[in-house]
Amino acid sequence: MAINKNSNVYIILYTVVMVAIVGALLAFLATTLKPRQDENKLQEKKVAIMKAFGDAKANFDESVTVYRLNGTELTEVAKEQQPVIFEELEKRGDLAAATENLPLFKYAKGSTVKYVIPMVGKGLWGDIWGYVSVEPKEGNVTITGIVMDHAGETPGLGAEIATDAVQALFVDKKLYDESNAFAVRMQKGGAKNEYQVDAITGGTKTSDGVNAMLKECIGKYEAFLKAEAGMAVADTEVTSEEVACAKCAECPERETCVKDCKKSCEECATCDNQCEECEECEKQCAKASENVEPVKVEEK
Amino acid sequence: MKLSKNFTNPLAANNPVIVQILGICSALAVTVKMEPALVMGLSVTFVTAFSNLVMSLLRNGVPSRIRIIVQLVVIATLVIVVDQFLRAYMYDLSKQLSVYVGLIITNCIVMGRVEAFALGNKPWDSFVDGVANGLGYALILLLVAFFRELLGSGTLFGIDILNRFGYVGNSLMLFPPMALIIVGCIIWVHRTINKDLQEK
Repeated sequence: MAINKNSNVYIILYTVVMVAIVGALLAFLATTLKPRQDENKLQEKKVAIMKAFGDAKANFDESVTVYRLNGTELTEVAKEQQPVIFEELEKRGDLAAATENLPLFKYAKGSTVKYVIPMVGKGLWGDIWGYVSVEPKEGNVTITGIVMDHAGETPGLGAEIATDAVQALFVDKKLYDESNAFAVRMQKGGAKNEYQVDAITGGTKTSDGVNAMLKECIGKYEAFLKAEAGMAVADTEVTSEEVACAKCAECPERETCVKDCKKSCEECATCDNQCEECEECEKQCAKASENVEPVKVEEK
Repeated sequence: MKLSKNFTNPLAANNPVIVQILGICSALAVTVKMEPALVMGLSVTFVTAFSNLVMSLLRNGVPSRIRIIVQLVVIATLVIVVDQFLRAYMYDLSKQLSVYVGLIITNCIVMGRVEAFALGNKPWDSFVDGVANGLGYALILLLVAFFRELLGSGTLFGIDILNRFGYVGNSLMLFPPMALIIVGCIIWVHRTINKDLQEK
């Protein structure tokens, strides 16, 4: 052979030609297969939404209407525009930041009207996302189904959020408690009231991620959902005068905790009469949170 | 039709998993159920066979200084091809297999056969060797998956076999260490039968 196979020129030429051929081949393959792959992902989303609605076998295009929500106003999205919505669902970062033109899916069968809200959040190792289906009825909003998935949570622990068993825990949970505040959460140590579900043992951080996801994403639709259910929109209990004491403020249980207190903790501290409710409140805060040091209740 | 030794050896006497002890990681990861194990086995067979074929065709033109790099490029290209096809035509399965299809390139069987066989043999022989090693690997995967799915979930290929009798799945079977134990048992049985494989 006249060509020296180990000469630099030959090696460089060989590499360039090889890379060009491989690059062209893969690019061609990717573009040819892309429509099918995108169709697969679209179908997966539609099936997940139908599963959340509780009717996995039904046809999405026939049963579901797609809307954009602005405040409390719905604008219907025509079938031709729906692919845009699904593309937005792919871009999880943008979806998390969106505050207007929010996507909403509606399913009506007989007298039941359910809505599916797309959610995105952060688990321990990566993104988590899901679809929660809610039904405004009887003065509250009830969860009728939820489908969740994740990018890389620990199998057997955080990854359990994608299983039917964990998702079934949320069914029939009401979103808002007696003071109209958002109360659904995964509770570490086991559900403490009728609005909570058991968190995943060994999957605390993922469960916290689910809680944040539920609260923030459903929160964007709160005004609309409450209007549909005929509820008062504002939280009825907490006003700006009722400030939790400093330790309680750091406690993640604060939302449910402070509600039980009729008076703020600082008020109780200067009050001559022991405020039993505050004592219970501070104690519950300290027990429930791992980050806050146990608070010594001041005996007056 | 007489099957050449190139084809029969890797299936049993020189099996890549239980004799050459290659490709163990994916053997543990994708054998929880039989269907992903089958798809993985076929994917590895495809990649090994065609990497062998391509490298054998190129063996006279490849500069020896970049030999390994060229092998990597060829194998990686084939793995991407398989991954793209799975995502297009078998989407649910590709999600179950997730990263493990992409990790086929790290499967020592593929690089091992290219280095050991394809670079020194004719294209057809190399292709046969690749197919046989892939099938040898697939065979072991299916065997491990058989036990793990039957005893762990009571099903085979998703079809209920044991659950109807009130069988409750043995969760231990669903964890990777169990796969390692099963592979160990298979090696034990295999070496008891093939005494010449036993180390002195």
